[in-house]
Amino acid sequence: MDERKLGKVHAAIPDMLQQVKKGKLSRREFIINSALLGLSATAAYSLVGLKEFGIPAAHAQTPKKGGTLRVSMQVQEMTDPATFDWTEKSNVARHIGEYLTMWGEDNVTRPYLAESWSTSDDLTEWTFKLRKGVKWHNGDEFNADDVIFNFTRWLDPKTGSSNIGLFSSMVESFDTGKKDKDGKAVMSKRMIDGAITKIDDYTVKFKTSSATLSFPENLFNYPTMIMHRDFEKNGKDFSKKPIGTGPYTLEEFKIGERAVLKRTGMPYWGEKLDNPYIGGPVFLDKIQYVDHGKPGPTVIGAYASGQVDAIYAFDIAQQQMVESLPDTTIYTASSSITGVMRMRVVEKPFDNKKLRQAVQACCDIDAFSKLIFGGRANVGEHHHVAQIHPEYFELPKPKQNIEKAKKLLAEAGYPNGIELTMAIGNTSGEWQTQVGEILKQQAAQAGITINLNVMPSAKFWEIWDKAPFGLTEWTHRPLGVMVLGLAYRSGVPWNETGYNNPEFDKALSEAETIADPAQRKAKMEKVQKILQEDAIMVQPVWVPSFALANNKVKGYTAHPTRYHLYHKVWIDA
Amino acid sequence: MLVMLFKRIVAMALVMLVVSLILFVIFETDKLAVAGKVLGPYSSVEQRELWLSQNGYDASFSTRYLKWVGNAVQGDFGSSLQLKVPVSEVLWPRLFNTGILALCLFSIMIPLSLTLGILAGMKEGSWLDRSVSTLSVFTTSIPEFASATLLTAVFVFSLKWLPGTSAMSDGFEWNQMILPVLVLLMYDFGYVARMTRASMAEVMHSQYIRTAILKGLPYWTIILKHALRNALIAPFTIIVLQLNWLLSGVIVVEVFFAYKGFGKLLLDAALFGDIYVIEACTLVAVFVAVFSQFISDVGYTFLNPRIRFS
Repeated sequence: MDERKLGKVHAAIPDMLQQVKKGKLSRREFIINSALLGLSATAAYSLVGLKEFGIPAAHAQTPKKGGTLRVSMQVQEMTDPATFDWTEKSNVARHIGEYLTMWGEDNVTRPYLAESWSTSDDLTEWTFKLRKGVKWHNGDEFNADDVIFNFTRWLDPKTGSSNIGLFSSMVESFDTGKKDKDGKAVMSKRMIDGAITKIDDYTVKFKTSSATLSFPENLFNYPTMIMHRDFEKNGKDFSKKPIGTGPYTLEEFKIGERAVLKRTGMPYWGEKLDNPYIGGPVFLDKIQYVDHGKPGPTVIGAYASGQVDAIYAFDIAQQQMVESLPDTTIYTASSSITGVMRMRVVEKPFDNKKLRQAVQACCDIDAFSKLIFGGRANVGEHHHVAQIHPEYFELPKPKQNIEKAKKLLAEAGYPNGIELTMAIGNTSGEWQTQVGEILKQQAAQAGITINLNVMPSAKFWEIWDKAPFGLTEWTHRPLGVMVLGLAYRSGVPWNETGYNNPEFDKALSEAETIADPAQRKAKMEKVQKILQEDAIMVQPVWVPSFALANNKVKGYTAHPTRYHLYHKVWIDA
Repeated sequence: MLVMLFKRIVAMALVMLVVSLILFVIFETDKLAVAGKVLGPYSSVEQRELWLSQNGYDASFSTRYLKWVGNAVQGDFGSSLQLKVPVSEVLWPRLFNTGILALCLFSIMIPLSLTLGILAGMKEGSWLDRSVSTLSVFTTSIPEFASATLLTAVFVFSLKWLPGTSAMSDGFEWNQMILPVLVLLMYDFGYVARMTRASMAEVMHSQYIRTAILKGLPYWTIILKHALRNALIAPFTIIVLQLNWLLSGVIVVEVFFAYKGFGKLLLDAALFGDIYVIEACTLVAVFVAVFSQFISDVGYTFLNPRIRFS
């Protein structure tokens, strides 16, 4: 594609293209960033001369229609997509309901129920054009009212949706006028007036109070599934009234047992698209999820005896067993899923920076990837920005230094060592305990005793943001600034460390407002350095996302966040 | 006899009442924690208090307890927090599934372990006795998770004869029952066989058997007509008590093979903190325990007329 044919695009895109030509910006970074700014993925790929991901090669087999794909995954309740807190819940729902945008294995954001979007130069106004002719399963036409209904609902604290944190730049705090027992004003949150405007039936404009580059990407986060505008009137239960716009509907749903999806019988609107993940014909007749419990030997047993064709995830402890399975492909996606061993800086003894630095200095980051993931994982550098994030700034690798740790510990006032307790919930598998065990061994060398308090995951979620020292899993987000804004900015709901550093907030805000990835990268140096220096976390490893499927299952891909979207999957029977 | 039965039933009801009170105190004294479980960890105190008053938690502790007991007696245990359906909708099918598992197990285990135990106990110290005893000790001492792994490795991964899990996702299939029953059988038959053997051996040493032998009665007549009835008293109690063990003992097997039974339901509820399911499951388990005790007491008096309840 010739750049002169670009037409009207965001002001930053031509500059970015120049940077690619000068070698300052990689082609992948260009594609991811320009897609966020509203350029179509196809155009972005072709501008830098890359073949678009997922377009089948000419010699590929002709897909076969029909058949049932059987997948082992926990079948959880699926009442209200806005309150989803597990990816598994969304995986069943994702084949029925749909999102405004989507991103797949290549981390490029593409339009979905939205046809296109554009943003203002300062990234605070986002105009979304919606697709025409998309029908809900009850025959109604999808339009702007549906989008406005969902946003209004998400941003009302009564709904209890985590989306209120995701779109915090559309929300304000206000005094409810009530007083609590201590006489303090009871505060609540509400949507800012004018945050959403209906331009016409198929155009919606969003106004954010600060620059939000990740806006389009957030719209594929699993609780942002678009529900029908009458969702509340219909009883607020998606598993009982599954009205969506997707190609499948629910045939059977038994929590803890199984979920069966079948084609709706309506023509699927998405077949007209040229999107590599959802465009073209949908092949499978049915998708059957069977619950064999958490990833573990039982799931592998079900797979090995042919009871299922694919599994949601396997625990890394089963790696060798899995590799010996015949006719099987293991799909790996690099992700920014990670375990953050974070320390609450507002609680003793972690209010002592020297102590936190001592714990961090004990950590040998290379050991974690080697011992737990057989060297297949990227190492973390204690600042929660991953190598795969487009704005990652390469700092010198943190090194283990036991002498330094002992010295810091003495300066912190613990010359004879200290005993700490870390809470672990194994919310997504045993690897979390293993990460804790390794740090425990490493810290022991400096006289720091770490006791691991391993608890059931449901118990852990009750204290995840309260435990003074704990290992929290953070899921993949395609941009580094997304998670930093959610987890470490002063006063945000998910700030589990109680971290409050105006200098960091300022540096992060500066990085967030820059659309140009090369400039943003330069700004990230300071952000990452502050986080490392303040030692609020030990974050030594990025967890790869694994999935596996039988070789007769074609078109399967691993998604960085384990999202299932089986439109292009078919079975070679 | 009728008086004895009546007394037993009253005692049963009393035990159930005490257990239900303990359960209620443990789980529902802290009202805010109940609301926290229902509304999730991110709910505010204000929301929780609102929920409590909407759901009848403003009443006194005793009123709430009586209402809860009244509902439970009628089979209404409230709604599961995790599964979002009435507890009774999942409890009974799960209990039924565990019942099927127990039926399959007992129909094989009882004849097998009684036969082996009697054969071994007939002649203490014989080669048959030694082999049965050694085998029993060996299989009983392998924990279920180990035998499950071993059997899966052999029959699922190497030989590929059997399905690896028993989720019955396409309806009931007999071949999915084989591995769970086999694991439970390995663990349990040795125990019952050894108890039967001990009981049989004791009977064989008793004076009336010696007299019968000295009288010159045929050997098998002595065994079948004189020894067997007395030797079966102890194993009978043990077997009835296995019912009890099964309810909790099958957790490992049900989880390992993803069998949708009572044990798996209880474990999931305990891990999630699904209080209404835990309460219901515990009540059912205690009922089964007390009831099986009752059955074994009654059966005991039939088998051994010397035992009378005063």
